[in-house]
Amino acid sequence: MSAFATTGGAVRDAVHDMRRSWTATRWLAIGGVTLAALVPVRLPGSVRLDGLAETGYLALAAVGLGFAVGIGGMPSIAQGAFVGVGAICAAHLIGSGWAGPLAALVGAAAAALGGMAVGLAVVRFRAVYVAAATWIATWLFALALEAFPTLSGGSRGLVVPPRWSPTVHYELALALVMVAMLAHGALAHSSFGLTLRAAAQRPAAAAALGARAARLRLQAFAGAAAVGGLAGGFAVQLVGVADPSAYGPSLSFRLLVAVLVGGAATALGPTGGVVALGAISLVADVFGRVSGSETARFGPMLAALLLLGVLAFGGEGIVAAITRRIPSRARSSETAAAAASPTHGSVEARGLAKRFGGVVALDSFELDVPPGRIVALIGPNGSGKTTALRLLAGTLRPDAGAVRLDGADVTTEPTTRRVQRGLVRTIQSNAVFPDLTALENAIVGASLRRRYGGAVRALLATPKARREARAVRAGALDVLRTVGLSHRVYHVAESLTVTEQRLLMVASALATGPRVLLLDEPSAGSAASDLARLVDVLETLRENGLAVLVVEHNLRLVRTVAEEVVVLDAGRRLAAGSPDEIASDSAVRSAYLGRRGRR
Amino acid sequence: MFLAAGCGGDDSGSAHTLTIAVNAPFSKTPYVGETIARGVELGVAVAGPIDTKDGTVELRVKRLDNALSPRQAIANVRRAVADEAVAIVDEGTGVDGSWRIAGDAQIPICITYQGGMGLVDVEQRPNVFRIAPTDRGIAFRLAEYLIPKGLRVAILTDDSSYGDEGRAALEQSFGSNPEAVAIKLRLPADAPDLAPQVLRARRAGATALLVWARPTTIANVLTAARSRRWSIPIYTPPSGADPLVRQQLADQPRWVDGLTFASGRMTAELGPQAWQSFESLFVSRYGPDAIGVKTSEGLEVVQPPEYAMYAYDFVSVLAEGLRQAGTEDREALLAALNEVTVGGANGDERGFNLHNHEGVVDDDVYFARFEDMTFAPVKDDPLSSTLPAIKQTR
Repeated sequence: MSAFATTGGAVRDAVHDMRRSWTATRWLAIGGVTLAALVPVRLPGSVRLDGLAETGYLALAAVGLGFAVGIGGMPSIAQGAFVGVGAICAAHLIGSGWAGPLAALVGAAAAALGGMAVGLAVVRFRAVYVAAATWIATWLFALALEAFPTLSGGSRGLVVPPRWSPTVHYELALALVMVAMLAHGALAHSSFGLTLRAAAQRPAAAAALGARAARLRLQAFAGAAAVGGLAGGFAVQLVGVADPSAYGPSLSFRLLVAVLVGGAATALGPTGGVVALGAISLVADVFGRVSGSETARFGPMLAALLLLGVLAFGGEGIVAAITRRIPSRARSSETAAAAASPTHGSVEARGLAKRFGGVVALDSFELDVPPGRIVALIGPNGSGKTTALRLLAGTLRPDAGAVRLDGADVTTEPTTRRVQRGLVRTIQSNAVFPDLTALENAIVGASLRRRYGGAVRALLATPKARREARAVRAGALDVLRTVGLSHRVYHVAESLTVTEQRLLMVASALATGPRVLLLDEPSAGSAASDLARLVDVLETLRENGLAVLVVEHNLRLVRTVAEEVVVLDAGRRLAAGSPDEIASDSAVRSAYLGRRGRR
Repeated sequence: MFLAAGCGGDDSGSAHTLTIAVNAPFSKTPYVGETIARGVELGVAVAGPIDTKDGTVELRVKRLDNALSPRQAIANVRRAVADEAVAIVDEGTGVDGSWRIAGDAQIPICITYQGGMGLVDVEQRPNVFRIAPTDRGIAFRLAEYLIPKGLRVAILTDDSSYGDEGRAALEQSFGSNPEAVAIKLRLPADAPDLAPQVLRARRAGATALLVWARPTTIANVLTAARSRRWSIPIYTPPSGADPLVRQQLADQPRWVDGLTFASGRMTAELGPQAWQSFESLFVSRYGPDAIGVKTSEGLEVVQPPEYAMYAYDFVSVLAEGLRQAGTEDREALLAALNEVTVGGANGDERGFNLHNHEGVVDDDVYFARFEDMTFAPVKDDPLSSTLPAIKQTR
């Protein structure tokens, strides 16, 4: 009985979530899918269903590629190779008597393994190198197919006797594309997707929040490959042959072009791109016939022009440009979680030292930041402030000394582990995730602590995952309220003022649930009139019991909020004391203030 | 692009117009595609309207480019099925996968270029026919011709389907005389520089090269050998006669001299008259097929429409099948194709029966050698020595 009640509650929650997020676009999508499903009933005479089904499988591979490009920020030019892996694997298995669907699933698994192998090599690369490396991988695959004809079937390919009618393939392709698009949408808005998008936009800031970007990107890359392999595994059963020449760089490039033309960031974009390229092909055919010219040249030429146009207008893609113009329902106000209970923590540095070649960046550095206190770290440029912060946060390893968090030695622990323990830092540059909303920026911070926020649970939308997602969302709203950004929750970060962006960085850090907060120049770029907002926020954090270390150049802010000031000069601790003591310290005045005054 | 694959026109104006689809590599090897399509078009023009009990039938031709891709070739056959084609004249690529699709619609496929051994199988593939020399026939004739000369042959095949099929056929034909084979090498079809492979053959002690490959590869092998002053005799299947070989070597015409190829004979025992009348018909419709090279005397070289002849012959067989069946019904037509025989363009009889779907017998393979950019039958082979040289200049 209780199981029924639990299930009923979960279903009610799911329906409630769905109704909340329902929009006119979704009605349009359902209408479009229904019409597409009915195509075989009333097929125009000039259209062949097998061609449409093949287009459907191509769209499936493109949507899969959207996982890597749109969510993972990795412009892969290897998707055609993964389609080939799925197709060739399925062809061999079907030739050995396996059932078609099972063979396609194994093909997808083989492609996922291939994706893992390639992904391990490329996920840490910048986008341009990802493109270059995957392009090389595609060529290697094509060459391997030529070199091993027993594997690939050689120039004759591997023949797969057709078992299903084109109608079955068409409906299957349509269903798979829909599922893949839903998965794309679910992942893009999950913690998984938001963290990946954040890491693609500002890798250093995401890393500072403890995001395991490489691991998530690897999952996205392998997922994209798996979907490509699934498309290949089913498509080969439609076309009747695994033709090695069909899985070369040309297919990979065409898929990437389709994704970019349609728009990588939206679920519908890759499918829209495939349809757009198909329409171009038809237009080119007509144009060629009218002009009496060779039609084969017009298609790629028009596609290239369209791609250039899309990139020239910002690169968001056709679908995103259209859907942006469809009015969406105003968001209902959301409820923030109750304020989190005060969290107490402390951080200590003992004898920290760091050299970069012959330069001593930090030497014998000592620091104590107890709970509920704000300590300021000041010093002239190059004095070692940021190095100290990076050593404390774990993005640099010290040459000597120790870092203790609540008394525990964390010197050798990586950033992610320290963030999990409650030690988080904001970075010096203005590093919000510009394409995400303020709320999404905060959710990225909260993602590290999620237990049920992985890609699979996000895809399946399990009750636990949805419950946790709601809690994370409420927590994110709470930290935005804490920093005074409640009115900017749904604004994209790049539209915020500089001060608001700095506050949003603090909110993202707070969303990780820290006990010790390391802030690197939180007032940088802010107008003097906005300083009061920052002071309010810092004082609230102190009241909540956080240990806060602030690296700051703005001495007015330091005097206002800090109980203790540590002065660094040339990597050494010059002085420490209250702001008044530091202000009257002759050594500080001559070494720091005096030097500044001479400039 | 893929969406375009879903669209096919149906501009038939009459219920009695039947389509013959030509599935050939128009974009990748234009000579092969064009010559097949022209042979079919000429055959259709000559056949004219055909009376059946369903009414008068007119044939028309639809060209479908397979780009040498099995996937595209199969897609083309699907399109032909959707267009309710009466027959498919096929270069041979992708037939392993496409025969079943055409067979389900009772549409005959006739291969008029590739001679692969598994392509035609009366039992398994009852709708597949061929009018072209078989690889088996060419390979056995090559073995029969070369082994008695005491040559140590380097067998070079490229990794195209044409090359792979040839390799399989040569392995059978040279299998019982392994001492005649110096080395077997598989060449990358698109590699411009084949010097490493050719030099390897030289180091292996080869005294003849047997190159079963696409025309470009053959030209590249000739370049690699001759540019190193290696005057080894070179033998090829029919692809050696492709104009592309001579076009690629137009600035080194002497490198082509001595190149010997095996192919189906163009003239029959009855003499060259039948061939000449076909050739003049072909030339009057399309003009002479000038290949863009000249002899040392400055005469323009033209290509005889050899493979057009096979496509032309199939249309003749098809038209006769339609007449004999007396109906457009595909099943009846398939049955009729197993019973008809017609006079071919070169005077040979062309036809099929329930036990044989090969339109060219293996014994009809002859050898010809290039000299000054034109070829003539060799004199050291019994069959070839009886054949007249076909005029190839103007």
